[in-house]
Amino acid sequence: MNAEFLALAQMAVGGGLMGMAYALVAYGFQLTYTAGKAVNFGQGELVMLGAFIGLSLTGIGLPYWAAVPGAMVAGAALGWFVERSAVRLALQQRNEGWILLTIIVGLFGVSAAENIWGRDDKPFPAPWPEGTLEFFGISVTWPELIIAAGALGIMTLVELAKRYTMPGIAVQAVSADPDSAELCGIRSKSAISLSWAVSGAAAAFAGTIIAPVTTVGPTMAAALTLKAFSVAVVAGLDSGFGLVLAGIALGSAENLSGFLLGSGWREAPGLILLILALALRPQGVFGKKIIRKV
Amino acid sequence: MKASRFILTVLLSTSLSSGAMAADVVKIAITGPFSGGSAPMGLSMRDGAKLAISQINKNGGITVGGTKMKIEIIERDDEGKNDRGALVAQEISSMGDISAVIGTVNTGVAIMGDKYYVEKGIVKIITPAAGSASMTQWSKAGTKDLPIFRFAAHDGIQAQMVVEQAIRLGLKKVAILHDATNYGVSGRDDLIEQIKKQGGKLKVVAIEKFAIGDKDMTGQLIKAKVSGAQAILIWGIGPELAAVAAGKEKLGFKVPMIGGWTLSMSNFIDTAGAAGNGALMPQTFIEDESIQRARPFILAYRKAYGVAKIPSPVSAAQGYDATLLLAEAIHEAGSTRPAQIKAALENLKVTVKGTIADWKKPWSKWDPQNVETHEAFRRANTVMGKVQNSRVVLANPSDKALLEGKKAR
Repeated sequence: MNAEFLALAQMAVGGGLMGMAYALVAYGFQLTYTAGKAVNFGQGELVMLGAFIGLSLTGIGLPYWAAVPGAMVAGAALGWFVERSAVRLALQQRNEGWILLTIIVGLFGVSAAENIWGRDDKPFPAPWPEGTLEFFGISVTWPELIIAAGALGIMTLVELAKRYTMPGIAVQAVSADPDSAELCGIRSKSAISLSWAVSGAAAAFAGTIIAPVTTVGPTMAAALTLKAFSVAVVAGLDSGFGLVLAGIALGSAENLSGFLLGSGWREAPGLILLILALALRPQGVFGKKIIRKV
Repeated sequence: MKASRFILTVLLSTSLSSGAMAADVVKIAITGPFSGGSAPMGLSMRDGAKLAISQINKNGGITVGGTKMKIEIIERDDEGKNDRGALVAQEISSMGDISAVIGTVNTGVAIMGDKYYVEKGIVKIITPAAGSASMTQWSKAGTKDLPIFRFAAHDGIQAQMVVEQAIRLGLKKVAILHDATNYGVSGRDDLIEQIKKQGGKLKVVAIEKFAIGDKDMTGQLIKAKVSGAQAILIWGIGPELAAVAAGKEKLGFKVPMIGGWTLSMSNFIDTAGAAGNGALMPQTFIEDESIQRARPFILAYRKAYGVAKIPSPVSAAQGYDATLLLAEAIHEAGSTRPAQIKAALENLKVTVKGTIADWKKPWSKWDPQNVETHEAFRRANTVMGKVQNSRVVLANPSDKALLEGKKAR
């Protein structure tokens, strides 16, 4: 293998692993969208807040293993709070106010983070082994592998819970048809709240596994939300498997375009993919076209 | 009616009393990034300057024309952002009773803001911003009368030292990495110019840039690695420098990082951890208590701010010495008026004993043809530092005599 090809492969693999982080954040969009037909445009901010809360928990002496679930509980509470404060009322009134409201709550989160933790990027200590692994000449670090494994792991867990636990089945029922679900005795409001809480927990989890690679700072959220949204739209808002593929594709494309065209072009593929997907296949590459019969 | 008269009286009396106050204080503004990526430099500079001011005030203040005057500080956070820096400069220059300004970390802020001080003739000592452009902008404009002075080893000196160091290490091929800010771009140009000046012994095999906030530098580093670079000459600030160190570690690209003094920033050293070891950078000051000249300042700083380590020792020491020089100039001027202070700074009569050096007439009358007239530091004031286990130590231990002032600077 020549050096040029190896370099490209390195960039693609590194990007793909980070792309799993986008997929995980996008998964948060998907959870709330399927249940309540709304997404949190402040999802990136929840990731950031989750990372900061995790950092504070390790700061008071908790080991990483305890800080992650702690951050997830806080993330669930925040997700629930966003639904109650910004989304429920708007949806009840059948308007699109939740778009703006979730953005506002997110901005509020950024301000809060700046005031509580400061504006500086901070390193996030994690107990992963030092050093790198090599596969066919491609270097991969432990934190990168953890991101990929963690993203897949938590998505699998949530998917299993959706299929095999009562609350999960209830959420699915509400996704399919809230009115019929109500007739079967499911409180659709609670099911939707639950999906927001799980989405918040997933975001906080994402924060705690991404931060050891990227460091934690109030500005880490902005780019993440946009990229995850691209992933969610490209994949379609109802395909978990599609999210992973789209995440990997976007991460790799980003790294490769930065490498080949210059670092200023890094963000271009995400936006181009978003535009193409919206124009050519609005239901997403892996999405099902829903035909509503009146 | 009665109430409004009362308010009027109060307003009048407070304005009168503050007017009376203003007569026996010297107002000095300190500006810099006290938040954001360059905050360690801004905060250390501010705290170093405030340490000098509190020591001066404890002794009754500065003797100006026979009366002792205390120093009053006005602080402004420019957040390291160019537009915010311009606003801060406008605000301070329109206050009307400011004698001098100390500060600025980011070259872009100096470029955007300093024109307001020049318009009003307000004295400013730039420290620790090192980018060449913050002084050369005035020589390019042909400004006749300049109230801006610099107290930092400017990038011309630093680039010279970085290239010297690379040649001394016997390197042939280097890669230049820089951030996309004014600081990074002018640093890249300084490096290329110095390589030419020093006989073209180094071959630049890759030039790569990165943006503020970039976390993944593998692309740039792979290009450097593939092109066979034996060292990375780098111009950027803490968080991105740390990302480069982490990327180097990941790729197993074990070549030295040599760059501007920003490699001594705490947010590089702390974030990079072990990956930052061995990074080389020019320093005007080393936090080493065994250096007798530096010892009192280091201990006083740590005690005053309750830290075990100064976040940016160079910034702190420069802030401190710059304040001592300014206080001496105000004393020699015998006035709090900027025009007189400027004249005194250009012709200081007393040698000021600082924590970095003995400053004997550091500046002279401004000559647009020669920026060095308003630059305090020369190549000989600067040593090479090295990151070792989360601290900056002397890269070359024999330089200690130089920092003590026992060897000719």
